[in-house]
Amino acid sequence: MATLELRDLRKSFGPVEVVPGVNLDVAEHEFVVLVGPSGCGKSTILRMIAGLEEPTSGDIVIDGAVVTQREPKDRDIAMVFQDYALYPHMTVAENMAFALRYRHVKRADIRRRVSEVARMLEIEPLLQRTPRQLSGGQRQRVAMGRAIVRDPKLFLFDEPLSNLDAKLRVQMRTELRKLRDAVPTTTIYVTHDQVEAMTLADRIVILNHGRIEQIGTPEDVYDTPATAFVASFIGAPAMNLLPARLDHRQLRLEDGTVLPCPLDGARDVLCGIRPESLVWSTQPSGPCLHGTALTVEPLGADTLVTFLVGDTEIAARLPPRSIRRAGEALTLMLDPAVVHVFDQETGQRI
Amino acid sequence: MRKLWWRHAALIVISIIMLAPFYWLLKTAITSENIYEYPPHLLPVRPQLFNFVDVWYLIPFPRYLFNSIVVSLIAVAGNLVLNAMAGFALTLPFVGRRSVIVLLLSCTLIPFQATIIPAYLITAHLGLLDSYLGLALPLLSTIVCIFIFKASFDAVPRSLIDAARIDGLGEMRILLRVMLPLSTPAIATNIVLSFIWSWNNFLWPLIITRSQDMQTLPLGLARFLSYMEDTTGALYAFVVMVLAPGLLVFLMAQSAFMRGLTTGATKG
Repeated sequence: MATLELRDLRKSFGPVEVVPGVNLDVAEHEFVVLVGPSGCGKSTILRMIAGLEEPTSGDIVIDGAVVTQREPKDRDIAMVFQDYALYPHMTVAENMAFALRYRHVKRADIRRRVSEVARMLEIEPLLQRTPRQLSGGQRQRVAMGRAIVRDPKLFLFDEPLSNLDAKLRVQMRTELRKLRDAVPTTTIYVTHDQVEAMTLADRIVILNHGRIEQIGTPEDVYDTPATAFVASFIGAPAMNLLPARLDHRQLRLEDGTVLPCPLDGARDVLCGIRPESLVWSTQPSGPCLHGTALTVEPLGADTLVTFLVGDTEIAARLPPRSIRRAGEALTLMLDPAVVHVFDQETGQRI
Repeated sequence: MRKLWWRHAALIVISIIMLAPFYWLLKTAITSENIYEYPPHLLPVRPQLFNFVDVWYLIPFPRYLFNSIVVSLIAVAGNLVLNAMAGFALTLPFVGRRSVIVLLLSCTLIPFQATIIPAYLITAHLGLLDSYLGLALPLLSTIVCIFIFKASFDAVPRSLIDAARIDGLGEMRILLRVMLPLSTPAIATNIVLSFIWSWNNFLWPLIITRSQDMQTLPLGLARFLSYMEDTTGALYAFVVMVLAPGLLVFLMAQSAFMRGLTTGATKG
């Protein structure tokens, strides 16, 4: 178990600065998820923590010791890779025992630890198979087993679920969550899937172009996104961002709708409305958005509907069978208290 | 289906054309038939193995064979060790990597005959003339085989190397424990090519051997020609005996050899 600090960590590949200075403190036992779109630098940060990439500047501190110049093997970390990186010429048991053999652990201890972890992950019957004889989910478990058996200070996960099909991904996410409670090691987990981030993390770090947009608990980043980028990244479907004019405690949308607002001043803003904040009713009252359904996606438990407000297409999550087909007129109520306001130029929350 | 039939027929005809000289060689070796005899017999007439016995006893064939085996084994071992290390190094990032690759590739354009005098002088300075190591020296590492290893190592996913580094392996152990076990086709290709090149080498052994005891089979063949008159059958028997080990090595490693040559040629 350990703490992790990133101090002004930077990485450039030639003239391209991929990570322009990241500061992060991770507490003992904490499960931190780095999330962001492809190319935002999250895997590069993870690889720098692992020692697989050398930072251009800055420091990595594990458990109080600066490890920036240390070899990966001397950092006491374990990593689960996107493609699992299991040695194809070794059995599952050999894969799991491999790192321990090079750490001069006694054979009897290796056997015991491999057996314990295999039992925990329910992969005991697979121990004598080679990776090519395993399914995607089984490989995933073995990769996790190989990391757990090391009992490292720090776990690093690099998009471990991204190669699985949708159903298996949901199943493995649940298992990862259980595992997180069973093995409370400090963990950095990289993903581009915000659902994974929300369900697994103690804290989420949202990255955009290598910069941290926001650090917070899943509830924080969902309820009070710090920037328009975070607002549009967290949540499925994403938050609707409508151009509007803030004019002395009033928000005037493109279509002329006026919403009350506690903010003073006058400027152009982005008005953020979560799809689930729009309320369908047969007798609407108070501030409402009016439109005509463009698309209707019945999902069983709810229905996703898109419609136009001014020139902007927005999404709403409505009760099942509330709207049946595209072209129907709809009026949705909106509680002004759940409207998020962002500066249109900087994207910062106001 | 019809197209496939023609393709197979064409391949069979080409194979017969390619194999005909080998068949003729073997037939003559066991019959002593005059190669100018007309009409030639397609099947061997009165086959016997006397020519092989003659070759074994008339010249120090066992000695030549032993020398060839020792030199080829040294060449194979050298190629495996040095080429694997060089091939792995070329997959790693270092300053000037591109230049080194271009330099190595351009060296393949230089014929061995052009470097034979400096090679001789270096071998002489090392005191390796008329020795097994000296005989194997120019073939201890071959550029083509370095690139066969490089192509094979390039096909190994980077994440495996990263995992090995995190697991605590240094570069040499990564090569030994991860890269080489995943590169058996490249190993087979290196063994086959270096064995055959060394086995068939004539010019270099001719230059650096001084005693008959150190001569290899290709030199023995030349010596044999100078000994004997009307040597058709025995000569062909000798050629069969020289070719057999190379063919055997090739056949044993054939499938891996083919995979090794095509590594990196296709994706996946």
